[in-house]
Amino acid sequence: MINEKPTIKSTLKALLYLLPMLVVTITFSIWPIISSFMMSFYTKYDYYNDKVSAIGFDNFVTLWQDPEFHLAVRNTLIFVVGVVPITVILSLIIALLLNQIKWLSGFFRTVYFLPFVTSTVAIAMVWNWIYHSDYGLMNYFLGLVGIHPINWLTDPNYSLLALIIMSIWKNLGFNIILFLVGLNNIDKHYYQAAEIDGANSWQRFWNVTIPLLSPITFLVSVNGVIGSFKVFDQVYALFGGQPGPAKADLTIVYYLFEKFYTENKYTLAAASGVFLFFLILLVTLVQMWYSRKHVHY
Amino acid sequence: MKKSFWGKALLGISALALGLVLTACGSNNSSDKSSNGGKVTITFWHGMTGPYGKALNGIIKDFNNSQDKYVVKGTAQGNYATLQQKIMAAAKSKKLPTIAQTTYTTVPDYVKNNFLAPLDPYMLKGSDKLSTASMDDIYPAFLSSSKYQGKYYSVPFSKSVRVLFYNKKLMDQLGVKMPTSWEEIAALGPQLKKKGIMAIGFDKSFDMEFEGLARQAGNALVEPDSLKVNVDSKETLTAAHFIWDMLQKGYAKTAGEDFYGDKAFQTGKTLFYVGSSAGVTNMNQTAPKSLDWHTAPLPTYNGQKATELAGNDLVMFNSGNDAQKKGAWAFMKFLLSKKETIKWAEGTGYVPLRKSAVEDPSFQDWLKKNPANAAAVNSLDFGFQSTAFVGFTEYRNDLLDAVDSMISKKTQPEKALADLKTKAEKIIKDNN
Repeated sequence: MINEKPTIKSTLKALLYLLPMLVVTITFSIWPIISSFMMSFYTKYDYYNDKVSAIGFDNFVTLWQDPEFHLAVRNTLIFVVGVVPITVILSLIIALLLNQIKWLSGFFRTVYFLPFVTSTVAIAMVWNWIYHSDYGLMNYFLGLVGIHPINWLTDPNYSLLALIIMSIWKNLGFNIILFLVGLNNIDKHYYQAAEIDGANSWQRFWNVTIPLLSPITFLVSVNGVIGSFKVFDQVYALFGGQPGPAKADLTIVYYLFEKFYTENKYTLAAASGVFLFFLILLVTLVQMWYSRKHVHY
Repeated sequence: MKKSFWGKALLGISALALGLVLTACGSNNSSDKSSNGGKVTITFWHGMTGPYGKALNGIIKDFNNSQDKYVVKGTAQGNYATLQQKIMAAAKSKKLPTIAQTTYTTVPDYVKNNFLAPLDPYMLKGSDKLSTASMDDIYPAFLSSSKYQGKYYSVPFSKSVRVLFYNKKLMDQLGVKMPTSWEEIAALGPQLKKKGIMAIGFDKSFDMEFEGLARQAGNALVEPDSLKVNVDSKETLTAAHFIWDMLQKGYAKTAGEDFYGDKAFQTGKTLFYVGSSAGVTNMNQTAPKSLDWHTAPLPTYNGQKATELAGNDLVMFNSGNDAQKKGAWAFMKFLLSKKETIKWAEGTGYVPLRKSAVEDPSFQDWLKKNPANAAAVNSLDFGFQSTAFVGFTEYRNDLLDAVDSMISKKTQPEKALADLKTKAEKIIKDNN
């Protein structure tokens, strides 16, 4: 059956099986993508009656010249660079440690996984309290080591850092699970062989675990980069529907949201979405190119 | 194999067809629902939840029982932001409700996109119109904000004002007399600072107080009709500096991560707090019993009184048919009636919309039992509303950014407001 040559009939049959999923995907993903691409080129557009009077590159020119959009891109890049590497390294370390303990391991796995299943709004409310400048836990602990209280949520110099810390914590759970799966999939024989060759534990980690875990590391980082580029809900929830003090936490998606929902600039919002699409595509392609050399399947 | 394949294919296709037919029927049903046992259904989207939703549902029920021609179906759509988003989505898919709650500042944008039906044919003409006496009875500030380009597009609904909260016990301890002007509050700054107390607390943003002070100093931020932008006029800058200087000197604080200034006020960090009169309901619930708090109308500035009216209006969309529009107006008129506006005010803490309602003995009795609600009612004579224009929401974003920049980055008012002026003038030029 599998080796059958594709015929018109078998292709039609396959299509039939795919049809339900295709209908859903085309309606809710493909068509919106195409229409927002087209919308980003409309320069005179009646959104509610779907009448296009002029097309051109004006929206992209506006983005190029808008200092607020530059700020959004800058903040998003800082956010991605701040969140992804630390999340990957931290979740790998925690996964390794969890893999070592047998006692209560289920309990600890649940504890680390909880942030992933908790709603972002609930998490943001808790962190809002942790970060509070007067009675927050964060400043209390910093005070114990002699650091002056920081206005995490109201000082533009710290608010992006506050967002990054919260996001790292939130992202850990899912990535730890992925790493645990990866660790369990490594054949014990590799470690035994390495041990016979006289490799110490560090050498075993560096030469066995890291290379054999690389597909998962790749998955986690690609996932993390894409997710972090799209950050929005954490900002919205942590700063109560504002992009941080003095726009210090304005991200590309937040910019898009503002343009679309509060400023009624639908085509500009579409253009910023298209920009984000190509930015993510570019970064993902670079990651794929890098993975060809360094990921061992 | 062959037969079963085609059999399954047929089954699949027929299932799909059935699904399509069903959904088609479904949508037919929902659009045909305008008649309900011979009654005309009026759909009403609002953002009232909790105690506010309860009060509103009571009034809707009263209306439905009061006559037998119309049925109002109210749906809470979440908070105001979600409500706005849903209206936008419904407008795009041509499924707008008959009426909805919204701020008067969105009216110009809605009119530009041709969503709204003017109320003039029902409100000023016809059998169900409001009499001149009845119109005069509604507070003028509410009526003037309902008018856009010479036509009425909205009726006032859930309205609140800015009021001053004060901590009586703390004032007595400190030997502070009740101030009558903003200047007196500022003058208290140095002596209170020595005792570790700030004179006044604001919410996260002080934009409404800033707008009020600018009015009192002599100009609206954006002038009605001419839409001249005054955000960096001499008067406005004086007003902005008045607040900003207090913040810089440590005489005043904004709420920051608390969002509302009631927390700092309740813990005695600030002696006064300027906030929404709708916050009285919340203060009743959250303030500790030991806190001796009261409210007063906002103090004067530059010898003038002013307080910004906030809250929402009701608008009628183009979507309904003639019968629905008539019914929608009947409901709006019902809400504006003396009896219902009193009921609404007592249930929610929003202000009554009519002078006769305020003067009504039963409402005065209620105020005696709820003295904290009196300040808002006593402020209505000098309430004002912002100038609405197409692109207002975008302008308001920029205004909030400018205020935020003055707070978070300590930007000089001159710079922040000059930037705001450039942006505001561009928005007005592009849209109006």
